[in-house]
Amino acid sequence: MRATVGGLRRWLRYVAGVLVLTGAVAAIVFPQAALNALQLPLLAVFSTTRMVVAYVFSLLFAITYGHTAATNKRAAVVLLPVLDVLQSIPILGFFPAALVFFVATFHGHPIGIELAVVFLIFTSMSWNMAFGVYESLTTIPQDLEAAAASFGLTGWLRFRFLAFPAAIPKLVYNSILSWTNGWFFLVASEIFTAGGTEFQRPGLGAFIAIAGRNGDTPSIAIGIGVLAAVVLALDIFLWRPLSAYSERFRMETATGREIPRVPSPYERFRWLPRLPGVRHWILARLQPVALGYHRLSLRFERSYSGHPKVIKDVRRIDLALFVVVFILVVSAGLFGLAQMFLRPLPPSAALLPSAAFLSFSRLLVAYGIALTWTVPVAAFLGESERASRYLTPVLELFASLPATALLPVIVGFALVLTASFGDAAQLAAILIALFSMQWYLLFNLIAGVRSIPDDLKDAARSFGLRGRTYWRRLLLPAITPSLLTGSITAWGAGWNALIVSEYIVYAKQPFVVPGLGSLLNQAVFTAPDSEMLLLTILTMIVVVLAMNKLLWRPLFRRASQRFRLEV
Amino acid sequence: MHPLLEVKDVTKSYFENGKEFKVLELVRFDLAERDFVCVVGPSGCGKSTLLRIIVGLDKPTSGAVLFEGEPIRADNPQVAMVFQSFALFPWLTVQQNVELGLEAKGTVLEERHRLARKFIDAVGLTGFEDAFPRELSGGMKQRVGIARALAIEPLLLCMDEPFSSLDPLTAQNLRDEILQLWANPDLPPKAVLMVTHAIEEAVYLADRVIVLSSRPGRMVAELEIDLPRPRNRKEPEFYGWVDEIYSLIV
Repeated sequence: MRATVGGLRRWLRYVAGVLVLTGAVAAIVFPQAALNALQLPLLAVFSTTRMVVAYVFSLLFAITYGHTAATNKRAAVVLLPVLDVLQSIPILGFFPAALVFFVATFHGHPIGIELAVVFLIFTSMSWNMAFGVYESLTTIPQDLEAAAASFGLTGWLRFRFLAFPAAIPKLVYNSILSWTNGWFFLVASEIFTAGGTEFQRPGLGAFIAIAGRNGDTPSIAIGIGVLAAVVLALDIFLWRPLSAYSERFRMETATGREIPRVPSPYERFRWLPRLPGVRHWILARLQPVALGYHRLSLRFERSYSGHPKVIKDVRRIDLALFVVVFILVVSAGLFGLAQMFLRPLPPSAALLPSAAFLSFSRLLVAYGIALTWTVPVAAFLGESERASRYLTPVLELFASLPATALLPVIVGFALVLTASFGDAAQLAAILIALFSMQWYLLFNLIAGVRSIPDDLKDAARSFGLRGRTYWRRLLLPAITPSLLTGSITAWGAGWNALIVSEYIVYAKQPFVVPGLGSLLNQAVFTAPDSEMLLLTILTMIVVVLAMNKLLWRPLFRRASQRFRLEV
Repeated sequence: MHPLLEVKDVTKSYFENGKEFKVLELVRFDLAERDFVCVVGPSGCGKSTLLRIIVGLDKPTSGAVLFEGEPIRADNPQVAMVFQSFALFPWLTVQQNVELGLEAKGTVLEERHRLARKFIDAVGLTGFEDAFPRELSGGMKQRVGIARALAIEPLLLCMDEPFSSLDPLTAQNLRDEILQLWANPDLPPKAVLMVTHAIEEAVYLADRVIVLSSRPGRMVAELEIDLPRPRNRKEPEFYGWVDEIYSLIV
């Protein structure tokens, strides 16, 4: 269970106080920065609007895609692997291409850049949500499916009363993740240089990035403070109530000894106007649409089930079309690839293997650091109700601050730490990877520790398991599946972080380390070279997919068999 | 000389939003060696909470639980617990599950193996040492749970509705086996404390039945069941006891 709204409020006062204080101090000490920061509320509105637009599209996409993949077996054959690949490749690598496409389509009009930014955020938000919907729909208990069928719930009604409610918990959970991802990409994309031209849209991300580039510490502090305030406000007024609400839709038959009280989502906001009239009005407008869909799906089903021969034919044509399109798409892809490789490779392509190795090693170091601190901390937070009540909100706030926004702070920190005798660029690259990876591990692990059934903990206690035996026999086996899930997500985030972490401009000075990320950046800015760009992205995709298919998936499959928490 | 277990005026309350919810009130009884005691009551009367307090997994709001004159501790190796949901570790084999308490006690490897085999045999699971819990039926799982509890050779065996998630036939077989183990002076345990909502089961097994009222759980009666063993469920005396307890609860 997440921390209660009451506990959070007490803590919020404290944090808000610190933020206001920092802002006030910065504003008094640095009047120039304060003058700059006056535009921040407006910038925050711009940034948030981009996020909301991208999120609405992601939501529609996720429900459609997930629902189709779950209900249409033939579509699932293609949809699932596609989703799997898309969610594991570092999408930031495609951003330059997308940007060029959108800008060209709109003839350099700002709306093109705006769309490119929203598109990038959309791609970072939608995959995990789509998977969430798919998973929820395929794990609906059979009894419920049968009951729904026996009461004649089909089409719209089935969606409204069975499929959608069943998907709510995972949809909400993944939405929170998606927003965290989204902030990361928003900050990375509001200001971007491609092919020698700088593209910029006003927003919080651009503000922090420019402040970092100029080494303007007070502005960095104020910018991050405002971003933190926005993230916090959204968390308190949107995500916490929503995730409390989503508890109602959980499918498990809890056998806990205390029945958890399902909290009312807006308990603390009773004083807000309810506006029943508006709600009614909206529902009334939606009614005809829903009814129309329902009638259509009914009619479709009737005609469909009435003529078995027609169904057979339709299916056959459907399949044939699908095969033809599939072959066309695959052969076009193969043809394009072959063409590229038939030409002589650019000389810098020889750098790719060593760059891939260096980038991989950097991520491995960051992953190692993340593991060493998250496992014990998760064990502590998962078991201590009180500690987690106070610490989890703080950790969640840190986690939702995107590593891209913290970038200037991290580079500054690395500079101080290495003084002049160390490699600040190397340290900064690793730290940024660490900041992008560690939270996924931590929160997955906490969830893993929490999911250990009380009965097993009681048994362990009553048989006197302690210390090393307790870790070896209960804790470590029980968290193995969550450790693997967390690792897969963390590595995905790490590969994305590479792209921003290996080539940084801070205080008008470039910090570069050799790796796939810096090769990509070179191919985009310093020496624009579309062939190298493509080759680098391709290398990255191959490495990421190879790791997923050859390492994580097999491990995960084995772990989920052996360490499943049901007997 | 202290009795084996003393439950002294145990009261348990939960607090939510400043309101107090009493679950147990002034529960008091003793348990001596060779006793087989059942606690019965309607669902929600706090029986399971009482058992958790008795084995030290929970603290009473007031009152105390003494084991051989000392305050009880959860990791006391003289007390073992059998769970309604079996609480077997899914990633450990039958043998490893049974060895769990011994491992925690620091028993050496060979002795651990020997004791585990002995009690796996005693509950009739020979040949299943290397099976994982999910490969076993419900009855076999609870046999593992019982073997695990007995392997640490406890003086007192505590059971929380151990048979209520089993089918009636399996449950009856296991009841008889528990009685045999209890009656066998060479094997642990010396005494058994069991919580159940099945009145017939309590009358079939126990020397003494403690009846709790519904929330908050107070002791309504403490009855000595003096029927000769083995008991026959068809006898009118047996039904006399069942009816009496039934009328006390309702």
